[in-house]
Amino acid sequence: MIKILAACGAGVNSSHQIKDSIETEMANRGYNVQADAVVVKDINEEMMAKYDIFTPISTPDLGFTIPIPIVEAGPILYRIPVMAIPVFDELEKTIKDNNLQ
Amino acid sequence: MLATNSDIVNPLFLPDSIFLSEQTSKEAVFKDVSEQLVKKGLVKETFLENLIKREESFPTGMDLFVVNPSLPNIGIPHTEGEFVNTRCIIPVKLMTPVTFNNMIHPSATLEVSFLFMILNNDPGAQTNILSDIMGFISTVDPKQLNEFFNYTDTEKIYQFLQEKF
Repeated sequence: MIKILAACGAGVNSSHQIKDSIETEMANRGYNVQADAVVVKDINEEMMAKYDIFTPISTPDLGFTIPIPIVEAGPILYRIPVMAIPVFDELEKTIKDNNLQ
Repeated sequence: MLATNSDIVNPLFLPDSIFLSEQTSKEAVFKDVSEQLVKKGLVKETFLENLIKREESFPTGMDLFVVNPSLPNIGIPHTEGEFVNTRCIIPVKLMTPVTFNNMIHPSATLEVSFLFMILNNDPGAQTNILSDIMGFISTVDPKQLNEFFNYTDTEKIYQFLQEKF
């Protein structure tokens, strides 16, 4: 199981859309992925340590060095393939490059 | 009698909660709209300060050039569910475009002509409001959308959203 942390400022809209889109598309591509959606201000090092990839809209300053790969997922929000596919491709490359499973 | 499509009302839009704003800064627009939303009981008194704070840290301007170069940009301001009392979309036509920062590239600015302010106290709901807004933007004919974005009649805005959203 590959664990992904999606995050946005309010935790009510964008991060949930990113979570749902990533879970659907990565399942279509044959990966066993589970994503959680959280508020950026709730993220700490302990939480981050439980995930394999971080997918914020754009990379926030969390006050600590993010120890896992980051894939900026904002373009997914447009819901148009020309914007979303490069994000999914980068996510897939990150999974492969880091031998995540 | 069977219900027809025209009888089905999308509860995400409220006919008396669609606004036109003459304000020229996002803070002033937020203040105007928030005051009316508080009066209607749709948000809590703390909504405005949290909306402004959130917009500063996590901007919500969306550049629609990538969807269609003819479309004006939109903003989707929102804040945490604890500051709102409902789940709906508040459309706000900005009579003068207002500067927002870009949601995806926060250091960049863009001029925004229409807001879909999201009130959501139920983030775990089956349907995602932001996703529905972007689905609306990316599937409705751009010519019709441009006409919609130029409406200055709240009734017309409401009817269009009921028909097309």
